[in-house]
Amino acid sequence: MRIPLLILALGAALAILPFVGSEYALSFTVQLLMFTALAYSWNIIGGYAGYTHFGQVAFFGLGAYVGALLIGAGWHWLPAAGAASLAAVVLALVLGGAMLRLKGSFFAIGMYGLARVGENFALGFDGITQGGTGLYLTPADLKPIYAALAVIALALIYGTHRLDNARFGLQLLTIREDETAAEALGVRTTRLKIAAFMISAAAPGAVGALYATYLAFIDPATAFAPMTELTTIAMVLLGGLGTVLGPLVGAVLLSVVNELLWSRFPELYLGLVGVIILGAVLFMPRGIVNAVARRRWRWSAAPRAGLRRLADAVPAADTGRRALPETAPAPRAPDVSVRST
Amino acid sequence: MNAPVLELLVGGVLLGGLYALMAGGLNLIFGVMRVVNFAHGEFLAIGALVTVSLVAGAQAPYWVALIVVPAGAALAGLVLQTFVIRRLADAPLIMSLLATYAVSTVLVNAAILIWGGGYRGLPGVLSGSVRVAGVDVSVARFTAFLVAIGTSLAVWIFLRSTRTGRAIRSVAQAPELAIISGISVERVRNITFALGSAMAGLAGVLMAPTFASDAQLGSRFLIKAFAVIIVGGMGSYPGAIAAAMLLGILEVFGGYAFGQVIGSALLYLVMLAVLLVRPRGLLGVGARI
Repeated sequence: MRIPLLILALGAALAILPFVGSEYALSFTVQLLMFTALAYSWNIIGGYAGYTHFGQVAFFGLGAYVGALLIGAGWHWLPAAGAASLAAVVLALVLGGAMLRLKGSFFAIGMYGLARVGENFALGFDGITQGGTGLYLTPADLKPIYAALAVIALALIYGTHRLDNARFGLQLLTIREDETAAEALGVRTTRLKIAAFMISAAAPGAVGALYATYLAFIDPATAFAPMTELTTIAMVLLGGLGTVLGPLVGAVLLSVVNELLWSRFPELYLGLVGVIILGAVLFMPRGIVNAVARRRWRWSAAPRAGLRRLADAVPAADTGRRALPETAPAPRAPDVSVRST
Repeated sequence: MNAPVLELLVGGVLLGGLYALMAGGLNLIFGVMRVVNFAHGEFLAIGALVTVSLVAGAQAPYWVALIVVPAGAALAGLVLQTFVIRRLADAPLIMSLLATYAVSTVLVNAAILIWGGGYRGLPGVLSGSVRVAGVDVSVARFTAFLVAIGTSLAVWIFLRSTRTGRAIRSVAQAPELAIISGISVERVRNITFALGSAMAGLAGVLMAPTFASDAQLGSRFLIKAFAVIIVGGMGSYPGAIAAAMLLGILEVFGGYAFGQVIGSALLYLVMLAVLLVRPRGLLGVGARI
């Protein structure tokens, strides 16, 4: 795949759009870029490392509040977004050690709980956050925010492209396929998981702050909206978990569907996203990208994706860069509390 | 300060009984299926809303809801197991998680379409109060506690001493050995899913008279049930009952001392602390029932 060329083409299109497109097109693209960034971030921990992450909106919401409060304190929105991103990364580091001990279902529900606790805190500490009333900001110019989001989204696509071919990415895939075996092979799973978690939290933090700037308003229901979470996951799943182009395909597709439905049937939209996720899981779990590439639509018929990837990599390893993960001394006992067979 | 302590303690134990029922069902399903059913909370919420519709709307007696709703929940659980979970048995775990999460979303939004987004109460059912341990407690709450804790203990005895109960435990602990021993894993999974779902539905019926119910009730309770399971030890049924009491008391005291918002967040913080200090939970015995 010529991903770098695609990124250049996308970058060119995004650079031209503000000069030729309408305000509406720009506004739509801002949302699209936002979800693209969220989807790619989710893909790192959810697609590559295989940890079902239902709490990304916690980082998004934290970023939105950190950004809004700093802008309220007189900061420019750009450094405020940077600080928001940093706050999300620090939260990921602090929580990562505890949360990533959990496997599968429990990680999912634990992170889901984090988002709800975040919403509770935003409502409860109303001395700082104004509670349910929300924080109002002075509206900022749309185009610089658009540019910042475009840079973040393109950087994440490129980063994922690099990740897909890097040792780090392959190590994450071995964690997804069999964490105990990965550990036995010498993959330092705990450290890698926390690193992946921090990377996947960076963009949601920044995007949250940019979203607050874009809306010139934030309240707990907007910052921690389950809709944001659900739409992001549906995009990655629809496009293809753990693929380079999947999140982009899913983001474009669902953003269009979103635009068509959300304005007309807001009460049906969320339920419909649920149906889309369910349909994708049952009938097309490998996502559009994989379905197009391999014409394989079912899990049962296909070998385990990550192992095949490794097997593919070995004969192609002319440079040795795609060799199997390093063997480190003395694998640590897995800090596993649930058997997730 | 003496009186509120006792009152809070009783309030916490009463709340804990409901958590035990809810978390017990979730833990049971987790033990056997290795999947947390995200739609579990919706079974509770829709159970509560159906109870309100039956009793306040259709003027049916409360005991009808006590029978009809758990039966309906069991059936719904069986449908979910047959058409969604079972089809994903060989897929990676992430798929079944996303599937139950999607089902949960669909159910929440269906409930909002049917019952609206607002809160619904059920006043006048099991009204009046009794004196328990020197504290006045409403009949509704006391009945809910008795039925909830009674059911939880009955299920425990069922798991300990009946043939089917032992089959469920063996599938939870060693599925391969269970198959070799001639246990039908498929049947056990169906029974477990139906039983766990019925427990969630029953919890909903019991909550309807005291708590205001709304479509979003499920997710709030699911997180608490999750905290209960982590603190009690994943897959440990008695652990879940003990932790439910403990966290019920903690939530009531925390809510009294720090306000409602921090009170409910407290459970989550306790859960995080347990994860850091003792990830197996208080009565953690690894994955067992």
